[in-house]
Amino acid sequence: MMLADAHDGRRVRITSVELEGEAAAWIGAVGLHEGEELLVLRRAVLGGPLHVRTGGGGEFAVAREVAGKIAVVPLEESEGP
Amino acid sequence: MSAEPSCHAEPARVRPPHEVAGALTIALAGRPNSGKSSLYNVLTGGDAHVGNYPGITVDILEGDVTLPSGASAVVADLPGFYSVEATVDAATDEGVARSFLDATQKSGRALVVVQALDPTRLALGLRLTAELLRAKLPLVVVLTHQDVLTREGHTIDVPALSDAIGAPVVLVNARDRATKAVVLAAVEDHRREGSDAQGSGKLDASRIAKAVVKDVGNAAELRRRRMTERLDAVLLHPLVGPFLFVGIMSLLFAAVFLVADPASNLMDKLVGLSRAWLANAFGKNLVTSFFADGLLGGAGTVLAFMPQIVILTVALELLEASGYLARGAFLVDRLLRLLGLSGRSFLPLLMGHACAVPAIAATRIVRDPRERLTTILVLPLMTCSARLPTYGLVLATFFGHRSALFRALIFVGLYFAGIMTALVASWVLRRTATKGKGLPLVLEIPSYRVPQAKVVLRKAGQAARRFLRDVGTVIVATAAVLWVLLTVPMPGSTAEPGIERSVAASVGKAIEPATRPAGFDWRINVGLIGSFGAREVMVGTMGVIFGVENAADDPAPLTTRLRETKKPDGSPVYTTRTGLALLAFFVLACQCMSTVAAIKRETGSWRWPAFVVAYTYALGYAAAVLVYQVSAFFGIV
Repeated sequence: MMLADAHDGRRVRITSVELEGEAAAWIGAVGLHEGEELLVLRRAVLGGPLHVRTGGGGEFAVAREVAGKIAVVPLEESEGP
Repeated sequence: MSAEPSCHAEPARVRPPHEVAGALTIALAGRPNSGKSSLYNVLTGGDAHVGNYPGITVDILEGDVTLPSGASAVVADLPGFYSVEATVDAATDEGVARSFLDATQKSGRALVVVQALDPTRLALGLRLTAELLRAKLPLVVVLTHQDVLTREGHTIDVPALSDAIGAPVVLVNARDRATKAVVLAAVEDHRREGSDAQGSGKLDASRIAKAVVKDVGNAAELRRRRMTERLDAVLLHPLVGPFLFVGIMSLLFAAVFLVADPASNLMDKLVGLSRAWLANAFGKNLVTSFFADGLLGGAGTVLAFMPQIVILTVALELLEASGYLARGAFLVDRLLRLLGLSGRSFLPLLMGHACAVPAIAATRIVRDPRERLTTILVLPLMTCSARLPTYGLVLATFFGHRSALFRALIFVGLYFAGIMTALVASWVLRRTATKGKGLPLVLEIPSYRVPQAKVVLRKAGQAARRFLRDVGTVIVATAAVLWVLLTVPMPGSTAEPGIERSVAASVGKAIEPATRPAGFDWRINVGLIGSFGAREVMVGTMGVIFGVENAADDPAPLTTRLRETKKPDGSPVYTTRTGLALLAFFVLACQCMSTVAAIKRETGSWRWPAFVVAYTYALGYAAAVLVYQVSAFFGIV
């Protein structure tokens, strides 16, 4: 599934970032990279960004179209950030 | 027109070498919100001057420090950045940091990079550490928020972290004075030992963070987290959040103008007294007129705007340091994306309501080059405070008899007209001149923090200095040139001696056929010519034309003169329609050479500032003609 499809409160792990080289590299440097665990906190209205917390301790606003290119797998409730 | 900002095409300007080129340079690096500003403040005591670095055309602030050995060093404050490897555009904060590090390395100057790293987000910060190590930069890592780490109930095994990354690490509270000695000692030790034994940068940030951070539990931290979650639940609520956001922004602007107004009046009075003293001391002649009306008049305009610039900077810094501004960007991102921008453009667009010059510099936080260029190109449409005196004059002249509420509504309408035009312009630009695929938005949302007064005041001081340097000099120069144009008679002119015979009046009359459809006569044209360089001088210029002294300080006599100016047939020259047309022109036209210079500086080309002047003047003229002509159909006289 894609991050954009994950419900609020859902814990997930990034399996791949399907963006072009530079963009993927920068997003990885910021903190969204393969293997990172995320908690989806909320999303802004009308297709606005997702608010996520990473296992590394950061919180990010991620545009919906970017979230649509980040593949994730759901984690059990006891796992993740 | 190319979609790429020309900074790609034109290499960065090389400045003269730094005056203390022999001293060690300590480059302060780190992600945004890593505690870098606090660290800079504690290291330098807030001392900041603009450094000269080869290849860097933007301001890198630096402060002088003395190392424990007694040697001198310079601390250079780099902008916050996430990566030196994934750099898209040389003009963004990441590009500036990268250029600085590359240029300093190549110059052979002694350099140590001090990375400010927020230990509460250790794994994130270590990714940048790895990149800096891979770039073979001599590195000292400073974990900045020891106090927050303790409050959150964590400890860090600092020696283990240092071993794991292969670089010295110190843990400090960046707001504590003792930090300076600890950090400078670590820097000097690293210089002595050399960086040959540094790690290669091949490290697993998440694994290291998990290994060195111990959770010792803390009830206070649990309460803090709950408080943050509760605050976010309200401030970022899908429905309540946007309303609160609009309310907070409205309060901010109301507060800025309420607080700045008495200070601006005081500045005006001081300059007025100086002008009166000049006239009394040296009598009324051409030379004193040049100094009093030309130079001091211009200086008065600059000083009157200073309080607004400083107070707005303080307000925005408070919002940013508290963590709210990033949340504002989260809320408005979708709206801005519809128009080809993103939440990252929100801060510069907001700053543009005080002054476009610092706002254009603030676009460096926008990583996407096309989005950044679009933001720069539409920023001059935001209602900056320099427009307000003209708005006030027109409202007092033509709507003085209407209620205060009516005038307030027109005022708000003018602000919205600027915002709406900017949004429509960005929509059009993203489909034409700056067309192309945008970079994705990922915006870090920092923790809520109590802003640090010293840091906020330092930023306000920087904004004031930049305003004086970039805007002030242009306004004073414009006022001086304008004085000459209004005073020197046009050769061969047969008009009555006085203002009508001046060079400016002759030009104003020559362009009357073009401006008549907008209801502008030669006098308004002269005002518009004068305000081409700085729109602030419009009211003062109209005062000179109508023989009203100190019109910028007290426009009441000028409003009466404007209302009472008649045509030969006895009908008024200026009507409500003229006032509305003038407002339309002022909302849209980029009458600001400081803004033009700022756009040139940020895009590295004259093409984009020329484009901005052309399109905003075309829009302003078209809108003025449209408003003047259409308002007649609605029975407005």
